[in-house]
Amino acid sequence: MGATDAPVGVRPDLPGAPPAVSARRIVKRFPGVVANDHVDVDLRRGEVHALLGENGAGKSTLAAVLCGLYVPEEGELLIDGVRTVLHSPRDGLARGIGMVHQHFRLIDRFTVAENVVLGDRTQSLRLRRDRTEDAVAEIAETYGLPLDPGAYVGDLSVGQRQRVEIVKTLYQGARILLLDEPTSVLTPQEADALFATVRTMTAAGRTVVFISHKLGEVLEIADRVTVMRDGRVTGDVDAGATTREELARMMVGRDVDLSSRRAVVPAREPMLRVEGLTLTRGGVTSVDRVDLEVRAGEILGIAGVSGNGQRELADLIAGVETPTAGRITVSGTEVAGKGPRAARAAGLAYVPEDRLGTGLAPALSIVDNMLLTRPRSFLLDRRAARAEAEDIIERFEVKTTGPDAAAGLMSGGNAQKVLIARELDSTDGEHTARVLVAASPTRGLDVGAIETVWGILDGARARGEAILLISEDLEEVLAIADRIVVLYEGRLVHETPAAGASREAIGLAMAGVAP
Amino acid sequence: MTSGLSLAAAGINANVWVVALAGAISFGVPLVLAALGEILAERSGVLNLGVEGMMLVGAVSAFLVADATHSPWLAILAAVAAAAALAAVHAFLCVTLRANQIVSGLALVIFGGGLARFVGSSVEGQPRGAEIDPLRIPVLADLPVLGRVLFQQDVAVYATVVVTALVALYIVRTRPGLALRAVGESPATADAAGVSVARVRYLHVILGGGLAGAGASYTMLVLVPSWNGSATTDGIGWIALALVVFASWRPWRALAGAVIFGFALRANFTLQAAGITAVPAEILSMLPYLLTIVVLIALAPTAVRRRAGAPSALGAPYVRDER
Amino acid sequence: MILGSYEVLLEQRTDVRRSSAFIVPIASILGALVIAGVFLWLTGRPALSVYARLVRDGYGSWYSISDTLGQATPLILTGLAAAFAFRMNLYNIGGEGQLYAGAIGASWAGLAIAPHVSGPIAVVVVLLAGMLGGVLWIVIPAIARAFLNTSEIVTTLLFNYVALFLMQYLIFGSSSFWRDPDSKNFPQGKPLPDVAHFPTLHFPRDIAGLDFPSGVTSIHLGFGVAILAIIGTWFLQQRTSFGFDMKVVGSSERAARYAGIPIRRTVIAVLLISGGLAGLAGAGEVGGRAYALDPNGLVLGLGYTGIVVAALSRYNPFAVGLVAVLLAGLRTGADALQGATGPLRVPVAIAFMLEGAILLAALGGEVFRRNRLVVRRIREAPA
Repeated sequence: MGATDAPVGVRPDLPGAPPAVSARRIVKRFPGVVANDHVDVDLRRGEVHALLGENGAGKSTLAAVLCGLYVPEEGELLIDGVRTVLHSPRDGLARGIGMVHQHFRLIDRFTVAENVVLGDRTQSLRLRRDRTEDAVAEIAETYGLPLDPGAYVGDLSVGQRQRVEIVKTLYQGARILLLDEPTSVLTPQEADALFATVRTMTAAGRTVVFISHKLGEVLEIADRVTVMRDGRVTGDVDAGATTREELARMMVGRDVDLSSRRAVVPAREPMLRVEGLTLTRGGVTSVDRVDLEVRAGEILGIAGVSGNGQRELADLIAGVETPTAGRITVSGTEVAGKGPRAARAAGLAYVPEDRLGTGLAPALSIVDNMLLTRPRSFLLDRRAARAEAEDIIERFEVKTTGPDAAAGLMSGGNAQKVLIARELDSTDGEHTARVLVAASPTRGLDVGAIETVWGILDGARARGEAILLISEDLEEVLAIADRIVVLYEGRLVHETPAAGASREAIGLAMAGVAP
Repeated sequence: MTSGLSLAAAGINANVWVVALAGAISFGVPLVLAALGEILAERSGVLNLGVEGMMLVGAVSAFLVADATHSPWLAILAAVAAAAALAAVHAFLCVTLRANQIVSGLALVIFGGGLARFVGSSVEGQPRGAEIDPLRIPVLADLPVLGRVLFQQDVAVYATVVVTALVALYIVRTRPGLALRAVGESPATADAAGVSVARVRYLHVILGGGLAGAGASYTMLVLVPSWNGSATTDGIGWIALALVVFASWRPWRALAGAVIFGFALRANFTLQAAGITAVPAEILSMLPYLLTIVVLIALAPTAVRRRAGAPSALGAPYVRDER
Repeated sequence: MILGSYEVLLEQRTDVRRSSAFIVPIASILGALVIAGVFLWLTGRPALSVYARLVRDGYGSWYSISDTLGQATPLILTGLAAAFAFRMNLYNIGGEGQLYAGAIGASWAGLAIAPHVSGPIAVVVVLLAGMLGGVLWIVIPAIARAFLNTSEIVTTLLFNYVALFLMQYLIFGSSSFWRDPDSKNFPQGKPLPDVAHFPTLHFPRDIAGLDFPSGVTSIHLGFGVAILAIIGTWFLQQRTSFGFDMKVVGSSERAARYAGIPIRRTVIAVLLISGGLAGLAGAGEVGGRAYALDPNGLVLGLGYTGIVVAALSRYNPFAVGLVAVLLAGLRTGADALQGATGPLRVPVAIAFMLEGAILLAALGGEVFRRNRLVVRRIREAPA
């Protein structure tokens, strides 16, 4: 399995030659849903092809079928015009198709070279460290992906890990690379570097499939775009010949109100005050002297690329982590270092990033999950929790078999509805949130669910709650926040009112460039 | 090492410690073999608590075959086969059926132990039918101290050192060894890379069982004069599990640890022979276990930092995530 | 798994019927009987007759039932001990050692304190001391697990051996407080004073139909304690906040941390309770059966069988009671078989074989209850 078998500068397919990969009438089902519904797509040599769609549209599933991870129930794949059945990702790689997943499949305890070489049958029985490292270095250089083959992956940054994944896929002989939401974890600068790499690869005759829900990026990097919605292909166009509006319509199919919402009533007294908040552990400072204030009736949006301390900041304010220094005041009550229960008692509610795993315990029933954050007496009384669960299921139209169903069976959108509702409301009158910390509340949700969640947050703001929104999706922050701050390497930089905010300035701040 | 003990009993005191060290090495053989087997299994992500049961089954098989054929080599083979068969059951339950690994291992200890005692009940106390003779290495065996300790052991001891080296080399320097480590760290990643997780796990669990069986056969053919029910292996299988943790899943450390443990476990006899009767036998017997506990607790904080520690996927069944 | 042109896999059922909960245990027992039956046949014994005799001697007469319930007492407690902890993925394998430690504590209290207090208090003291012994025995593994994340599997296991040797030391290796100075030929534990003996269920001799020669059964207060323990653990698990906390910590540590549930404290508490239950088992054996610290009568694998009981009961306290009685009957029956004559003479190890085999079969069967075997044909494209 070599790395460069096509000469640089090969033209894309000559007319009449079959596309590198063709998918015909692919059907892939999962219990309760048809993820791919008679999908057709053609991938040509030397092109950047985008698969565009909102979350849940089926693009990741299609990619998985293309690379051999899933076997479709119906339909066929043609590789270079030949009907093929792929039983596994290895089959896919043998035919030159490889995928770089959103969640990297890397082993922290291995070096870069070991990760790349894993599974390579052509290696000799006895691994020669120098040889494998040289092979890796060669690919990395050819495609402009600087990497130290002897470094341990556990020590690398997210952008570097992505490079390892790409090198791995190239090493395994992929001529067609599928990249699943690759820029979701990159700074704008790293994203630019990735785009450059993509162009180098396609110039060398490779095909790159860019799977994304970000319209802007797709238009920037792709040659052709296939748009999907609800498992079907709704459009197949040249990037140069279409517009954002057209793509959006194909993606979403209706006019969805994702316009920005701002506070109607001016904000009042501060409900959450944070001073000098710091978290240092093992020599690493993940939150660095953060000062902020959120008032009743406003949404403060914290933007930033993932990995800059968002989770730590949220956990600190909610009491889940103990700060190294600093003060946190909720409705006038000091809560720093006193634990989540004290914060809640003071009126703080927390919707964490990890909704089904942290916010909700997946193995527990919905009723039990209601009890999770309520104060509990020695003898457990589930009646109020049951009533609350039933109320939420009805009011928010949560799709589930009932309040006793395990929370883990719910889809992401439904789980998020339950989680936010639990945090904001209370039927026993005792417990009303006055401050809400919401971390990445709409990540991975489809547009309908995003609409619902934004509606809930807007409603809470109108009722006078103070909301701290921490999101890695800049569009979301721009859409519903009243004020925006950027989190970079644990520090808050660049504060601005949302109305009229400069996207460029925010982007630079996100990348750590001082204005 | 009966000859060594009678020498000591004749009152040659200074010799006692040399003999003890030699005995520790010999005693450590089943420990290290079982530990190596468990290291292989655990490195693939499967916890096999059933070692004690597999060793009992191996020991009784070795005894019965030695009794029938008087061939130590056939006895070893029988032990390996029997233990591997039991390990295969564990592999089937844990890898294919994805059952709880801990409960499965314990069930095997109880079943295997019961089976061994059942089958061996009629031959309890009978002298064994074969053994492995010591093998002197010329020239080196005449060295003072070291000669007695290292070069007058039997073939199995030397073979064990070779096995340790092979296992160590295998894990760190070979391609299948890389696959093994990958399966134990992140089966999803290994699967995506084209490694057959199930095959790797089955292979190493069964191999691990075989090694445990080999160790048990050594116990039967060298260390213990007759089949004695569960007292034959006397909990060595459990100690091997602790030894794996103690050795941070590294073969050479397991070898070193086995010698230390062997020494501690035989401390009874050693001190008696040296004429030191002040410490009661039972307290001495406790020492290896207490020692392990202390070491485990003392080493715990540092293990995390040193990139050492358990394979990340140890104990969890693997299901290819379809959704 | 791919076999030829078919793909075989296990798919999770979306509808797990409650009735199937009974099929698995029954099928497991049958399966185990078959497995053990093979070995019986291989060694020239009539399997069916052996089983018939086993059932008869385990459950077939009032006398056997009395013995079985007596044997079940420690098994219920060690079963509860294991179930309570295993439910939370805390693998306390040290029930065996905690039982010994409980026996040591209980016998000490029986010898040192009981003579100075009146009847019922003496018994209570013995029980409490036994519980305390078990708790102390698991303290170090519990703290190591909570604070250092040291595997409790290995630590509790190692402590089993320490407890074993400690017991043997106290009786065989020294003339300790526990040892009976009057036992010259063979070392024995000092007998407990009568006040510390647990009350035992008696029948008047002249009730017709009951074959109790002396009117005394093997069922002692410990059995009642075991029943109370079943109810107590059920209540604690299902009806209290602590039980709720346990559930959360056991299934999702991140959610527990998010909710402010003190994880370390919960882990330690669960392990201590588990140890205490096993210690109670030791107290029962000392105060209700042996009336002295008798190592040979205690080293019976009661702790390990407790784990089998727990696993077979799927950690449900009431099921623990039933399964413990079942496995106790096996042991009683096997004990009797050991002393039989002729082809029915079977080593007592048959009980352990059956125990282990039942669990193995149940493990396998449980998988099929929750999952369905699906065979799919793989479509092959023409070359």
